[in-house]
Amino acid sequence: MQSGMIPILKVGGILLASIQTELNDTSAQAFQQDVLKAIERTRSRGLVIDITGLDMVDTFVARILTDSGRMAKLMGTETVLVGMRPEVAATLVRMGFSMQGVHTALNVDEGMALLATLRSSRDGE
Amino acid sequence: MTSPLEYMNRLGFTEQELSSRRTYFQLVDEDLARLSALRPFAERHNDAIVDAFYQELLLKHSESRLFFTDQATLQRAMAAQKRYFLELFSGVCDLAYLENRLRVGTTHQRIGVAPKWYLGAYAHYLRLISARLLAEQGYSAETQEKLRSIQKIIFFDMSIAIETYIAAGLDALARHQAAIRELSTPVIQLYERVLLLPLIGTIDTARAMQVMEKVLVRVAERQAKVIVLDIAGVPVVDTRVANHLLQTTEAVRLLGASTVLTGISPQVAQTMVQLGVDLSKMHTRASLEEGLELALSLTGRVIRAKEG
Amino acid sequence: MPARVLATQEMKIASEDDVVLVRRAVRSLAERRGFDSFASAALTTAVTELGRNIWIHARHGAAIIEELEDGPRPGVRVEFKDQGPGIPDINWAMAGGNSTASSLGLGLSGTKRLVDDFQIQSEVGRGTSVRITKWKRF
Repeated sequence: MQSGMIPILKVGGILLASIQTELNDTSAQAFQQDVLKAIERTRSRGLVIDITGLDMVDTFVARILTDSGRMAKLMGTETVLVGMRPEVAATLVRMGFSMQGVHTALNVDEGMALLATLRSSRDGE
Repeated sequence: MTSPLEYMNRLGFTEQELSSRRTYFQLVDEDLARLSALRPFAERHNDAIVDAFYQELLLKHSESRLFFTDQATLQRAMAAQKRYFLELFSGVCDLAYLENRLRVGTTHQRIGVAPKWYLGAYAHYLRLISARLLAEQGYSAETQEKLRSIQKIIFFDMSIAIETYIAAGLDALARHQAAIRELSTPVIQLYERVLLLPLIGTIDTARAMQVMEKVLVRVAERQAKVIVLDIAGVPVVDTRVANHLLQTTEAVRLLGASTVLTGISPQVAQTMVQLGVDLSKMHTRASLEEGLELALSLTGRVIRAKEG
Repeated sequence: MPARVLATQEMKIASEDDVVLVRRAVRSLAERRGFDSFASAALTTAVTELGRNIWIHARHGAAIIEELEDGPRPGVRVEFKDQGPGIPDINWAMAGGNSTASSLGLGLSGTKRLVDDFQIQSEVGRGTSVRITKWKRF
């Protein structure tokens, strides 16, 4: 799988990445690269990763997602993970994988709203 | 309602199983050939046997006769019985035969006929047909062989009927258990995007998992921003239960919603702190009332008294 | 009576695409036997974790997928075998280290919680075998 498989769109200043297909290790790593390049290119202050389409998230993908969030933050971008499915969440917590440090929201709209809140509270510092 | 074919799959009635079972019951091709050859005999005596079967046994016994409350039911049952017994002499014992026999067990379970009734019925039928065979063909080595073949297929059929009865019963049990689980985890929509789950009774690991799953499904379904978990009705809240609650809260957070834990009594608060359980990441309140207020405020609402 | 094995399927693991194929095979089996979405997700994730361990640490191995039946209850059992380096201290590996370096450890202890039965055998220099079983819930 090469890079560019997961579309990353710019929606009004926010980057939106929607993961629709199952990921293997290579495509997950490519995704991380793509996201960071997109942040650099667009200087977006917010990133929404939509995983509504994922019916399975293993520890490797989970780590890629949390790491991506931390890397984005270093570049000045807040990340929100949205649309996690019930069975994915249940599996992750049962495994003891906590995904700490990742913002979450129910869907893309809520994710955008959360980013706005985070930005305003940060700008107020 | 499960179809016989689904039962066939579920009970593993494959060609392999059929062959294995026939071997164990020693039901071989010679037996089937003998049964097929006995078909004319069976046809000659079938009506009389089934009639006698009903008159002498089913309709006489104080309990069994209650199954046949009206003429229509009785006639239907007798006709079905006649067909059934004739099928024993079809000379065939393949998957289609098996599927046919499966209906017997599933029907019995569905209408509530316990095994003792049809096991007794098989015994009675065997007695009746054996008597007639001996009377007609005399007591010879050949007749003995024929009797053995009849016995074999009847016992074979019994094994199928019993297993399907059990499977159908387990199905009913599973449905009941599912219903109980539903009822014991009532997730209520309190307000738009605010859910409430009053937990009542002990929470063991199995129930905790079931609660978490139900909570997650409902939160996703309703796109709820907050779920209030009230534990005032949980008698024992130890480290394990606390950890289950923590796990559920974390899973709800992963979905993008938050949890408010309410119904925390002084004892429970003491236990949690003494056990070192870290509930700092959870919203908690002593009473359900306070929890609801918090939940509403988390969704941008406030409860206000009316003016005047 | 011990559980019956209805069907067996052996699949090689020599690439990450193979892990994906194994995961798909197990998922479709679980769905066919009527596992609910939570059980199916747990099983599929466990399979992915263990399959990946083979690919990353041993580079070559196999997954043996068995369709089981315990009376009326269907189950799935998968054995992951490799002739890789082996695990020197299974207890330590299972203790679930938190460091990112011990990704193998996290995989094993977490995976164990996703299934009903978890058996592991390993010998340094010989290889590893991990066998997981999950039953359908009623």
